[in-house]
Amino acid sequence: MIDRRQLLRAGLALGAAGTGTAALAACAGTLPPIDTTADNFGAGATGSVTVWCRAATQTAIQAAAESFNALHDDLQVTVLPIPDAQYVTKLATSIRGGSVPDIVDFDLINCPLFSVREAFADITELVEALPFRDSLSAGHMGLASYEDRLYGIPFIGDYSTLFANTDLLARAGLALEEVSGSLESLLEACHTLKRELPEVAPWTFPGNASGAMGFTIQPMIWAADTDLIAGELGDQSGNVVGNDVVEAVLEFHRQLWVDELVPQRAFVEDGSQWGHDYRSGEVVFFPGAYGSAVAEAEESFRPSSQNVLLPGPTGGRATFSGGDNMCLLNGAPNPSGAWMFMRHTLELDVQRALPDSGYMPIRSDSADDAFAESYEQAVLPVTHLDEGYVPSTLAYNLLYNQSTSPWLAMIRRGVFDGDVPGAMAEAQSEYDRILTQTQL
Amino acid sequence: MMSRPVVKDRRAVPYAVLGVLFALIFSLPLLWSIFRAFQPNETILGTPAIPELFDLTWQNFSVFLSSDAVMLRPVLNSIVVSLSTAALTAVVATLAGYGFSKFSFGGSRLAFGLILLSMMVPFQAILTPLYLLMNSVGLTDSLLGLVLFSTNFALPFGIFLMKNTFDTVPQALEDSAIIDGAGTLRMLVEVLRPMIIPGIASSALYAFLTSWTEFLGALTFLTTEKYFTLPIALLNIQVGTYGEVDFGQLVAGSVIAMIPCVILYVSLQRFYVQGLAAGAVKG
Amino acid sequence: MTALDATTRPDSLGSRQQRGAPVPASRRRPRSLTHRPATGVLLVAPALALVAFFALAPLVLALFISFTNWPLIGEYRFVGLDNYLQAVQDPGMWKALRYTLLYTGIVTGPILLLGYGLAVLVRSNRRGATVLRTIFFLPYVIGLTTLSYMLVLEAQPDSGGLNRILAGLGLTDGSTAWLLDGVLGTVVLSALVIWAVPGLTMILLLSAMQGVPAEVYEAADIDGASWLRREWSITVPIIRPAIGMSLIISVIGSFLAFNQFFILTKGGPGTDTTTIVGFVYNRAFVELQLGSATAISLILVVFTALVTIAQFVLLRGSDE
Repeated sequence: MIDRRQLLRAGLALGAAGTGTAALAACAGTLPPIDTTADNFGAGATGSVTVWCRAATQTAIQAAAESFNALHDDLQVTVLPIPDAQYVTKLATSIRGGSVPDIVDFDLINCPLFSVREAFADITELVEALPFRDSLSAGHMGLASYEDRLYGIPFIGDYSTLFANTDLLARAGLALEEVSGSLESLLEACHTLKRELPEVAPWTFPGNASGAMGFTIQPMIWAADTDLIAGELGDQSGNVVGNDVVEAVLEFHRQLWVDELVPQRAFVEDGSQWGHDYRSGEVVFFPGAYGSAVAEAEESFRPSSQNVLLPGPTGGRATFSGGDNMCLLNGAPNPSGAWMFMRHTLELDVQRALPDSGYMPIRSDSADDAFAESYEQAVLPVTHLDEGYVPSTLAYNLLYNQSTSPWLAMIRRGVFDGDVPGAMAEAQSEYDRILTQTQL
Repeated sequence: MMSRPVVKDRRAVPYAVLGVLFALIFSLPLLWSIFRAFQPNETILGTPAIPELFDLTWQNFSVFLSSDAVMLRPVLNSIVVSLSTAALTAVVATLAGYGFSKFSFGGSRLAFGLILLSMMVPFQAILTPLYLLMNSVGLTDSLLGLVLFSTNFALPFGIFLMKNTFDTVPQALEDSAIIDGAGTLRMLVEVLRPMIIPGIASSALYAFLTSWTEFLGALTFLTTEKYFTLPIALLNIQVGTYGEVDFGQLVAGSVIAMIPCVILYVSLQRFYVQGLAAGAVKG
Repeated sequence: MTALDATTRPDSLGSRQQRGAPVPASRRRPRSLTHRPATGVLLVAPALALVAFFALAPLVLALFISFTNWPLIGEYRFVGLDNYLQAVQDPGMWKALRYTLLYTGIVTGPILLLGYGLAVLVRSNRRGATVLRTIFFLPYVIGLTTLSYMLVLEAQPDSGGLNRILAGLGLTDGSTAWLLDGVLGTVVLSALVIWAVPGLTMILLLSAMQGVPAEVYEAADIDGASWLRREWSITVPIIRPAIGMSLIISVIGSFLAFNQFFILTKGGPGTDTTTIVGFVYNRAFVELQLGSATAISLILVVFTALVTIAQFVLLRGSDE
């Protein structure tokens, strides 16, 4: 009697271990690469295509999928929204598990994480063959490339600009173009606004929203031709301590806070109410995105909401080239059909419809007269795609998007606690630590 | 159920006072939240004067309950998953509890110990290995996989409970039934049923509750939106996945999440309380 | 016929006084010649299969992973004990561990005391006792996850219920951002848990209390002992096993606390309210360092097991 039961028990344990190691063996490496240079690749495919998309940007891609499906009887696209916080892990585990979707449409900053590990198909030739290749957003293309090959295409743009309520500005006798040349002149303008219009706040920023501040404040640093990260992908370190521009930008925001030029809410705003105060006319200057400053605003408000690219402390202009890239996965079930859809999303009519969902096209040739009429605040970023930048690093999420990010800690310590040198020193060591930890 | 004589009257007043006080402490926040769910977002996010607090609306619930409700699906998914988990847990735990209690076989102590050990493992620790395992047999991104996962989560407690329940069944009862020729199945279903129903109800209820609020596992294993359960939907609302955070919806969703728990608990509570007490105390 | 009635029958397991002590197997399970062991195995097989696949196999796999550098995707390589050594030297891990112990220390006592008090209140058979019992257990039934979602709203600065009340009472100006500060956040979290969890303790202690024979109390009454004294010298020793069990469940729960922290403060600001499980979660799903994360979580498993065993030993140590 003992033997049989113990045997059963042992069998069970072995079975458990066996399944374990089997699963392990099945998920050791990466999936076989796709040859995109084959003849007939990307033409006449049938069946279905699965796309994972960001839950945050799903309206845009649903629209594109619908227009594509209408044009193709025998090739249908299905879109699966994935919550942002889970996206990278889910993609990684499914690559490991060997069952991937055809396309991923995700935050472009995540591209390097996967392209350095050969998860995406090399589509360099396909992209170079596009007639409008040169009008594609430089920032997006930068993140889609690795070692001079291309592994993705841009899809959606989200560019940060400085918005201003020109009605309120006019009441204080100010003009946007004049005062927005540098942070210095903007600070002056804010003081004027505070005097003339005491019932509104001159400026606002979301002091507890790491990602949103990364989106809107980093360009102020880039406008002066420097960045917080130094070095090439795979060999990077922090560039904070000793960086006068970073110091100037921190001081600018500290001044805004100390002189009460921003609402009290700036201390706690974590992005969930971002832009709310601007849209309700309580704030004059709002570094933000087209979505929160225009698309979500009342129709009557939009004309008075104008924008310029973000300036640096003493001049210069820059914008955060954000948004989504679309990448074809190695091991995709229907790669040819997938490229057909990807190609479709780059069409002008698809791109031009993006501002309806609050996003920007990634083709600089999208801005024709009709576009300018319907989406006037989108014209500026779209015609300046070349001035868009976004850092290419494997650590972007950890450095800028998480609530535990050193970026957020630096801003809060420098701006709200007033300890700029200390904030910068701490950020330097954290940046170094994280960048080293995420090297290949 | 009384095991003590009538209590002295001089403690009646403190009892009443404390009773009412604590009843309020424990129920007011819940009632307040329910009330909140009916307030429009302007009230929730603003600082209105007292009279405005009573401007009520159904709008927060419309996203969950109206005919074109996008959130109705998660609610239904949660219901299906939780009920299935409850049923499966009840069956498996009862069988196992019976086996561990009344049968002796080699390795039963070890097996029981292993099951208890699994209670102490924070499942966040084994989340990714578990994902890999489930993926290899196709259980990820499916409600069935979630049901099995939730069942496993609730099993140790259920087995513990049922084993203790069976332990209290006198051997004589079984012996006489065996003499009458009862097989195992008949034994369970006919003979022992009245004695074990409280335990079964408790296990089922416990499994339902743990499955209903389970969210990290669901978040990890489910990819397709159509399978999402209510806690995931609530998390998405809270982090503003679909745009700005809608606190009204968050509270309304929480209230909806609250209701089945309360209803089930109140109607089954005599089983639950006894089952928990009997099961745990014997430990 | 209820389960409780069954416990008072003479041929149930052990006598009441021995309920807490381990009963030898031979007395616990009178063998029946017709209960085939094979059937027993069959009965427990489904449960074992589930546990083996969903808990034990992943645990073994996790052990394996903890000895590798398991990257996001691609080949992994063995790194031996590196992950463990790094973890032990990681200040972030110690911070999370300290915070978890602090949190456990804060809530364990109040939960036990409050649960005990509620049980005392409810154990008599006065009118409304059942209703009270239902109300007191309700928060636990609803679950910390749902309660946390509700609390998010009320802890908001300016508009949240907490702040409105404080402002109304004139204690603050109502703009406290409870969830954005380490100390305040901990206060809110602890308050939530101390409010929601005692219902369970109450239930666990209640039945044990109701098993204390009346004669024992009557003898004490004649001596004129105060209520508190009676509880301490009579009830507590008798229901000691139940108290022990409540403590163990409570402590394990506090060690492994995650959901409410994730929902309310996300472990912030920075990592000021990150519990050890929260730390593991970040390591695995945000920093994408799975090898390190599983190593830490296995350390946690061992730690929890040790603490539980210690509690068992301490609480049963002086029993006969």
